[in-house]
Amino acid sequence: MAIKVGIPRALLYYRLYPFWKTFFNSLGIEVVVSDKTTKKLLKEGLKYVPDEACLSIKVAFGHVKDLIGKVDYLFLPRLVSLERGTYICPKFIGFPDMIRSAFDNLPPVIDTSFNLRRRPSNLFLPMCRIGRIFKKSFLSIHQAYKKALEEESKYLSSLRKGNLLPEVLSSWEENPPPLLNTHLKSKSGGELRIALVGHPYNLYDFFVNLNIIKKLENLGARVITPEMVSPLAIKKETDKIPQEVYWSLGREIVGASFYLIESGSIDGLVHLGSFGCGPDSFLRELIADKIRKYPEIAYLSLILDEHSGEAGLVTRLEAFIDLIERRKAKVRS
Amino acid sequence: MNIYLGIDVGSISTNLAVIDEEKKVLAWEYLLTGGRPIEAVQRGLKEIEKKLPSQVEIRGGGSTGSARHLTGILIGADTVKSEIIAHAVAASHLIPEVKTIFEIGGQDSKIIIVRDGVVVDFAMNTICAAGTGSFLDHQAQRLGVPIEEFGNLALQSKTPTRVAGRCTVFAESDMIHKQQTGHATENIVAGLCQALVRNYLNNVGKGKELLPPVVFQGGVAANKGMKAAFEEELGYEVIVPEYYHVMGAIGVAILAQETIVETKKTKFKGFEVSEVDYKTRSFECTGCPNLCEVIEVLMSGEVISRWGDRCGKWEVLEK
Repeated sequence: MAIKVGIPRALLYYRLYPFWKTFFNSLGIEVVVSDKTTKKLLKEGLKYVPDEACLSIKVAFGHVKDLIGKVDYLFLPRLVSLERGTYICPKFIGFPDMIRSAFDNLPPVIDTSFNLRRRPSNLFLPMCRIGRIFKKSFLSIHQAYKKALEEESKYLSSLRKGNLLPEVLSSWEENPPPLLNTHLKSKSGGELRIALVGHPYNLYDFFVNLNIIKKLENLGARVITPEMVSPLAIKKETDKIPQEVYWSLGREIVGASFYLIESGSIDGLVHLGSFGCGPDSFLRELIADKIRKYPEIAYLSLILDEHSGEAGLVTRLEAFIDLIERRKAKVRS
Repeated sequence: MNIYLGIDVGSISTNLAVIDEEKKVLAWEYLLTGGRPIEAVQRGLKEIEKKLPSQVEIRGGGSTGSARHLTGILIGADTVKSEIIAHAVAASHLIPEVKTIFEIGGQDSKIIIVRDGVVVDFAMNTICAAGTGSFLDHQAQRLGVPIEEFGNLALQSKTPTRVAGRCTVFAESDMIHKQQTGHATENIVAGLCQALVRNYLNNVGKGKELLPPVVFQGGVAANKGMKAAFEEELGYEVIVPEYYHVMGAIGVAILAQETIVETKKTKFKGFEVSEVDYKTRSFECTGCPNLCEVIEVLMSGEVISRWGDRCGKWEVLEK
């Protein structure tokens, strides 16, 4: 029977899953993904979460809990940096340790470090270490690695064509959560284009964000996300900021937001943050500051936590869309 | 005469307003929701019908407030809009040059920024209910001051007591402490108003450009102490409109009129809905571990609408 490696459906799962899955499968290792986030899954994890964790870490705890007992290994790589010059959030770096200290019935944890801050070409090294855990030959590891890179580039290029991440990701998933996105046309004609920016684990976890993409689409919006913006455009924008934004995802969120704001292609921008997220509190202000210079673009900032009420979210989204539609109608008349 | 009806069903109060083609307010009704929105709407309809001239034709109806979706189904609303837009539309109609709207209701407070008659930005209180009507109500009760006299009492104060208003729980402890050390009630009451205003401006109004004219509406605008405290903090006049407590209803009546211009024909079911047997019931869906609470609305025993499920599988009614 094939060895089973468990990957939590949380944090950077939404970005790196096609890469990890291809790598493991090519080595003949089975990948098990935790269930989609539910009230129960979140609640089960909350019992083990240390104080001062952000919402996203709390959710990730639930996913780890869900995998315990179902897998031979837990895959919780220590993601320090995935590109030159930037860091992943320190809570991610400490995540394997948080998990170890919280649970005592864990399967072996694979917590190989990834630090590509100085040399992005060093990605093969940690992959080798992972492969060696399973006593695989260098040749087969290298082949699996190459294949994983290919799949990842397929994944990323499909995202950049303007497809929504959950739709694209579903072709790599065994049991993708039901897709709740259907590109609806605006009722009042003239599709509204709304940028929805934030960390991918907030944007694409339908439970955590109370299905915000579907809600926006039902209100007649076409949703645009940071993944649809090319890395080059993001870099061009972030280079203009005097102070370096050194969180990988934060840099992407700010860069993509600035690009979309300046391109004149959006009617509104929604920043979706999670409660307890340090970087989000900065990003929110950076984006708000920029958007103030573009009065024709509406801005809404939302903060999610595990108690988020649907009514509050719906009222804000409805008012936000109404605001844009009424303004457009006024300009037309 | 053609008229339009607007209903605003909030957490604390249910408000109705009827306007004519010229958007003039013909009648209004203000009653407590008391946790029973359907009954409140039906009672309100009965009451407001009595106040209307006999020869009227309802051309359109709209609903707003936290029970807007339920109310919309109940009355057959032509438009169902969020409180923010409804309040802004009413304020811009009554005070066309308005730039800033403060709205403080029973359980939420909001700020709406208007430029040239359109909403450009808004914010609502997030996790904190300090500074809303419920808190004032509760404290008035604790101090033994009827809420109607709260504002006048605050105006009598010459040296308002400084009350910590960041959080309702701490505000209450601080207030008790001030009482124990001998501060006069009117000073505490005035201090409370100031604390709430500071809290509102720092939380809800954070980062917003507060330009006059400012319109202050919602139930709490009845409190003269709050109006005075706002004016002192901002340094300019704050306008409390005549219909400050039913602005949401007026706004959504105007929105209904706008909708009818496009759709021509109203979906309003008529005042008879006050006699129809409406009920709601809920059940827990066990289809997945989310265990959503699904709400069903029944008209004369038949399910006419459902909501509350995350996945949407119950929203579609099987015919």
